[in-house]
Amino acid sequence: MPLVDIDLIIGGPQGGGIDSAAQIVIRAFSIAGYEAYGIREYYSNIKGRHSYFHVRVKETPVRSLRYPVDLLVCLDYESPFVHMEDVSDITKVLYDEDLANTKIEQVLTMEPETKKHVIDRLKDGGFETTLAGAVKYMQSKGATPYPVSFRNLVVAALGPNKPPARYANTLGASLAMALMGLPQEFTSRGIESVFGKKKEVIEDNEKIVLSGYDFVRTHNVVNIKELPVRSAKDKYILTGNEAIGIGKVIGGLKLQTYYPITPAADESFFLEGHDYFEPVMGGDMDKENEVLKNTGVVVVQAEDEIAAVAMAISGAMTGTRTATGTSGPGFSLMAEALGYAGINEVPVVVSLYQRGGPSTGLPTRNSQADLMFAINAGHGEFAKIVYSSGDVPEAIYDAIRVFNYAEKFQVPVIHILDKNLANSFFLVDGLDYSKIKIERWKLAPNSENFERFKLTEDGISPMGMFGKNIIWLTGDEHSELGHITEDPETRDAMMVKRMSKLQTILKEIPEEEQVELIGDPEADVTLLSWGSNKGVILSVFEKMKEEGVKANLVYVKLMNPFPSELVSKYLSSAKLVIDLENNYTGQLALLVKQNCGFEVENFILKYNGRHTTDDEVYDGIKRVLEKKESKVVMVRGA
Amino acid sequence: MHNYRTDLWVDWCPGCGDFGILAALQQSMMEMNKKPEDFAIFSGIGCSAKTPHYINAPGMHTLHGRVIPFATGVKLANPNLTVIADGGDGDLLSIGAGHFVAAGRRNVDMTVIIHNNGVYGLTKGQASPTLPRGEKTKGLQRPNILDSLNPIALALTVGYTFVARAFSFDVKNTKDIIMKAVKHRGTSVIDLLQPCPTYNDVNTKEWYEKRIYYLDKDPTWDPEVREATSEASEKKYLQAIHKSLEWGDKIPLGVLYQNDHVPSFGDRIAEHITNYFEVPPSDSPIVNSAGLPIARMESIFTDRLIRR
Repeated sequence: MPLVDIDLIIGGPQGGGIDSAAQIVIRAFSIAGYEAYGIREYYSNIKGRHSYFHVRVKETPVRSLRYPVDLLVCLDYESPFVHMEDVSDITKVLYDEDLANTKIEQVLTMEPETKKHVIDRLKDGGFETTLAGAVKYMQSKGATPYPVSFRNLVVAALGPNKPPARYANTLGASLAMALMGLPQEFTSRGIESVFGKKKEVIEDNEKIVLSGYDFVRTHNVVNIKELPVRSAKDKYILTGNEAIGIGKVIGGLKLQTYYPITPAADESFFLEGHDYFEPVMGGDMDKENEVLKNTGVVVVQAEDEIAAVAMAISGAMTGTRTATGTSGPGFSLMAEALGYAGINEVPVVVSLYQRGGPSTGLPTRNSQADLMFAINAGHGEFAKIVYSSGDVPEAIYDAIRVFNYAEKFQVPVIHILDKNLANSFFLVDGLDYSKIKIERWKLAPNSENFERFKLTEDGISPMGMFGKNIIWLTGDEHSELGHITEDPETRDAMMVKRMSKLQTILKEIPEEEQVELIGDPEADVTLLSWGSNKGVILSVFEKMKEEGVKANLVYVKLMNPFPSELVSKYLSSAKLVIDLENNYTGQLALLVKQNCGFEVENFILKYNGRHTTDDEVYDGIKRVLEKKESKVVMVRGA
Repeated sequence: MHNYRTDLWVDWCPGCGDFGILAALQQSMMEMNKKPEDFAIFSGIGCSAKTPHYINAPGMHTLHGRVIPFATGVKLANPNLTVIADGGDGDLLSIGAGHFVAAGRRNVDMTVIIHNNGVYGLTKGQASPTLPRGEKTKGLQRPNILDSLNPIALALTVGYTFVARAFSFDVKNTKDIIMKAVKHRGTSVIDLLQPCPTYNDVNTKEWYEKRIYYLDKDPTWDPEVREATSEASEKKYLQAIHKSLEWGDKIPLGVLYQNDHVPSFGDRIAEHITNYFEVPPSDSPIVNSAGLPIARMESIFTDRLIRR
């Protein structure tokens, strides 16, 4: 058992510095040599609605979260109500005692439906419908309340003229870390790492940290042990959005287009902040390379997603590595242009961050319901690659990889991701450049009458580019030159040429990049899954292993063309298969049925938009194995 | 001398205004003395959209309404190319109207040609956004129920820095206007009036020929903003708006507005990425001689590094 394995939730109003509080926690622990991981949950709102960060700290790499939490930090009057079910006898509940008499009716930020559920629970248990009642409710589940007057502590630290609400986040983070036993010095360094070294900010926050730690020292009713500092290598703290952005830049991205949409836009904002750099040519930076010093990535906010994808598609036809990023609604708008990229064999990358649909759905919540849509997006039949990534470390390398696929096979690539990945924080090592390979198109010889769409055995023609060759592209069926034709024989030949790429792709992409079999080859239970559930499933496997249950995961990355043979091989030898996804219909299982003829009979699904946690996956597997339930729906999360 | 004609049979209806536009384009490209690879010709969907296939230079026949963003993408990736975007009136002013508006704000250095014939030809003559209300062309069951929009006034209002009008049957004048439009550093738009002999039996060649006149024959007409002040541009803007309202018995042709003082989108990018034109995205290397990526995590993303 690890010495340290702490889950905490920091909840508060959107716009109230919850992000900063969580960043402080993650960075402070990280500086002290610990590993950390976290996910941000938030409403589609700018200020006021309840948002929270769920963070886990361990000595070994972390990739999942679990309920109940060890520490619940309530920075507003809504947190104690909405997180009532997230606690148990291991939980300390830090809350503002000045708010104890708040009636639930006064919590204006809370949605009426949520309010009703909470009121019902409190009344059923015979509790008052006040914040104090919610704390009592948690106490009845064994939790230890830790009341603090935020106002008194801020006033004591900074005097009466500073607004206490502005310091709730640093105070909350300080109290939380004092309660977890992190030495004070690291909290200060965490704050400095988040807010920078501005003198006034540092001074005020230093006083807040001191006041938080002093309070906990003098109110040590919860048996705090100071954590040892660990030595560790430097690491990068990255979200999924940032990992994709970094991978793209390393992979040679030169033009990124986008239209603002949650949760994709953070990637482009991040790129805008890192778009100007000095490339490393290696050896002597000679005169010729001097000019490269002031180059970078052109990031363009387009007028809509149709324009964003159109610009990326045509830009790619100049030999530039181009990409766009979007989410469901924007991706729906891109469908027509994807077909254009398909028929014109354009190497373009679309990073698709899934969120709750249909329509606007749950715009800031997680989902994996766009798999079938991504595969089938665009009318007509054409070759495209749909490739999935599940965590930050693999997302960086995959973002490079998908450019290679796009160019090597001259097809559009949908890099399918999800909100949980986008908004989760990982600590990762620096890049291993030996794992990075850049592969590009077959180049065209300079010739008159260059045939951009020359018919070839593997379906791939030499690449032609604007600025270099005379080429024609058209969304109509076309000749080898690229001119419109409706000639039936040419149509047949072109269909075969384009569609045969699907076989070429399956043949040339290494098997381990298509599907991974992770875990015990001789397993009692086999999970079939994809995307951001990877970390949770593997964490649960560790626990199952301790209990003597052998498990493995068929982790699919290449979704189209589908690696039917490999998946069939892995599944046909499995004793019991459970499909685990964040959608209603089990889309990966449907894909397996369609491509492999293999019928998955057990499902653990989640579609409430909240992140999947260890406890519910563990519970789901148990229910399938022991109670023979064929479909378990996970419902965790506030 | 490069031949800018392809050997394809041009499949427009006899008497189509597109012939004149195609000829003017080919002549202007010849006179610009560039390599054919220096051009990129774009089109949307419809009769006019076949234009790139008839020009022996790199071309892209795109999606309905999307000619502007496709053209923009190539120009952003390689700002040293000469980009011309041909769209129909339905393409640019109906399904693609949002892009038409955005292009005015961006001022990418390219030329947009509106093939304006008042109808959707390829789908048998429905009313386009430039057909006036109450007009009944051959393909319509009843007189047009929608009001027309004014492409010149729209272009001016959303910020196009070069706005002109030409008539496709005057190939020489059309060619001259295209040359000026291409030379302008910023987005230029040409409202190119053209008959549709098959479906628009109201605005015919003869109808136009009775009405058009040339602004540059008036020595006092000066569409150009001469200094970089808001007063100077406002004066010329209002003059052009006023002129754009002239439609009916008299239809003015020529350059209506030109402002060279607004930085192009490329110039705006180059303020930040200073070697944008010297090493455009399309020409930027991405690996070094050892095959390693030249963009390095440890030098670009240090702000995300946690030192322990």
